Amino acid sequence: MTALSQWTLFFPYAVAFWLFVVGCFGITQSRNLIHTILCLTVVQSSTYMLLMSVDFHAKSGAPIFGSTNPPGSPSVDPILHALTLTDIVVGATVSALMLALTVQIHRRRGTIDPQRLRPMSD
Amino acid sequence: MSAYAANLLSPLCVAIPLMSAAVLAPFTKHCPRWVSSTVAAANALAVIAMCIALVCYTSQHGPIVHWMGGWRPKHDLAIGIGFSVDTMGAGLAAFVALLVFAATLYTWTKFDLAGTLFHSLLLAFLGAMCGYALTGDIFNMFVWFELMTAAAIALTAHKIEEAESIEGAINLAVTNTIAGFCVLLGIGLIYARTDALNFAQLGEILAQRPADALVLASFALIVAGFFVKGAVAPFHFWLDDAHAVAPTPICILFSGIMVQLALYGVARVYWTVFSGALSTQAHEIKALFVGVGIATALIGAIMAYAQRHLKRLLAFSTVSHSGMFVAALGLFSAAGIAGAAIFVVAHGLVKSALFVCAGNYLNRFRSLDENELTGKGANAPLNSALYLIGGLALAGMPPFAISAAKVLYDAAMTDRALLAVAGFMALASAIDAGAVLRSGLHVTFGIGKGQITGYSPREEASECDDPYLVRTPWTMLAAPVMLLAVAVWVGMSGTLWHGVERAAYAFVDRQYYAAAVLSGMHRMPAQAPFVLRTAQDVGVNLSVTAAAIVLALLGLFRRRFPQVLSSIFGPPLKQLRDLHSGIFTDYIAYMMFGIAAYTTYLVIAAR
Repeated sequence: MTALSQWTLFFPYAVAFWLFVVGCFGITQSRNLIHTILCLTVVQSSTYMLLMSVDFHAKSGAPIFGSTNPPGSPSVDPILHALTLTDIVVGATVSALMLALTVQIHRRRGTIDPQRLRPMSD
Repeated sequence: MSAYAANLLSPLCVAIPLMSAAVLAPFTKHCPRWVSSTVAAANALAVIAMCIALVCYTSQHGPIVHWMGGWRPKHDLAIGIGFSVDTMGAGLAAFVALLVFAATLYTWTKFDLAGTLFHSLLLAFLGAMCGYALTGDIFNMFVWFELMTAAAIALTAHKIEEAESIEGAINLAVTNTIAGFCVLLGIGLIYARTDALNFAQLGEILAQRPADALVLASFALIVAGFFVKGAVAPFHFWLDDAHAVAPTPICILFSGIMVQLALYGVARVYWTVFSGALSTQAHEIKALFVGVGIATALIGAIMAYAQRHLKRLLAFSTVSHSGMFVAALGLFSAAGIAGAAIFVVAHGLVKSALFVCAGNYLNRFRSLDENELTGKGANAPLNSALYLIGGLALAGMPPFAISAAKVLYDAAMTDRALLAVAGFMALASAIDAGAVLRSGLHVTFGIGKGQITGYSPREEASECDDPYLVRTPWTMLAAPVMLLAVAVWVGMSGTLWHGVERAAYAFVDRQYYAAAVLSGMHRMPAQAPFVLRTAQDVGVNLSVTAAAIVLALLGLFRRRFPQVLSSIFGPPLKQLRDLHSGIFTDYIAYMMFGIAAYTTYLVIAAR
């Protein structure tokens, strides 16, 4: 394996790291709750990226076996896809809850700027 | 009980509450309040009964492993998702259900349910926490963790008309969601190495060779994620915001068990998965846990002392105790686990009772501000008495259970170097209990005359449907009486202590767990030596209690002391208060720092 392709194998992990950090950074700079929720989705994309890159094999297909790829031929690991799917469901739940809270906070406070919302500060 | 029945019980502890929640949700609108209350209470009692049966069975016959859908391991290779129930997990699930029962008791009458879904959410929360305690699969644990978070967000924001509740819920949501992703990243990394998700399987594969950077990074991410929910510095900031605004029955569950369950997750994952591979780094990890434990315990205690809002004060006290639990877990010994387990139960009971008493003040006097409440507590004598007893119990006054916990905890401190740690913990618990006692004396007898500094909202809505409650209903007082009575039992019961010690020895035995899960073999775990209470330990507890009383009086009469004290402690305290800004964007910045620090320390220093 050439040095270049070694590095390309690391590339998805670097992207996952970058997404996590940049998403969190986005939240720290956020002045709008909708923006915050989108940043959370960015952070979550890093988990998708990591799970998918763990799974990646250049030469293998989906784990659906038939005449072209008989059972036993190389395929990707379906468990990671199941994990990613569960992760998506979890993320959707939290985003929905947070959007509902955002609507409600806008009704009560008239703003969705997190810097101006503070439950109790000393 | 037969093995078949025991095997069947373990998933039912989760299935019954979740099914009840789903069935109850569409019908609560059309049925009277007592129906949904009864369903919730019956569920809690059923889970208590089932979990106690599981505790009895597992303490005799070793862990129960239930493979969902019958996907049993083939050739010692776990292919399905399983519940692996040991005595510690089942005991914790029973405790969860007990606190849920206390919460339903508190909400039985008068409490404003604000809509109809309260009990459904409560049952979903119960199911999630039980699943988390009983599972034997790391990804399954993540799913229960997220379900807990989702239920917690909804329950914090339960009073959707109150802006403060929503703000607290948003802080909880943002921080805990990122925590979940941290845990998931850790799980992804460890899966990349092992192709396994079952605790026992992971442990077996990882133990084959010493940990490298990938394993350490995965451990760091999982620990950091759990520490966010476990309210360990520098991740604890969401907790006081959420607790201060959450309804009282939810505070019971948050402070009493949810936070501690996250720490249970750390212990479970460490002992079943990482303990084999990280044995050479044990010393560095111990230093990390004990270090952050002390920091958290002191920050929480000092912040608690500087509050005048009762729920916020109690919330910071929970942060402080969280630090003590982490330090106890960080001893990485069976005695440390046993001490932490009794400590968690004892603290959960006492803290829940205190939260209920604070809620009763709120309902009677429509305030949680010490300065507002000053002297009013005398009109609610029983509640005030319970609050003060709770404060003394928190200091570890015998015969309360926290004292019991301290004995085991101190017993783990045989190492001379750890004597200083024990000293810091005693100091933190004295400050903690001092804060609670100060607020209790202030509210009950009016000593101190509303001179406590700190933040409190001007107005606070009662949690009852009757805003001008003249008498506290008996159910709202029965909850703390029950909790404190159980706390006394926990403190006195030698059988319970010995059982916990045995469970702890089984808990830390990775090979015993792996053999039981993967091949169904049971050998006896190491036997626990029985640690007896000594006169000296009672002396330690009494002196902590005395220190707490002194600190309480110091807080009340501080005007009579020279101003030198406040000029010394004032500026650093102000800095500390400013960190707790209530804005989640700041909290995420601290979290980023924390995650980076934990990972760097574990990957570089501990390597």
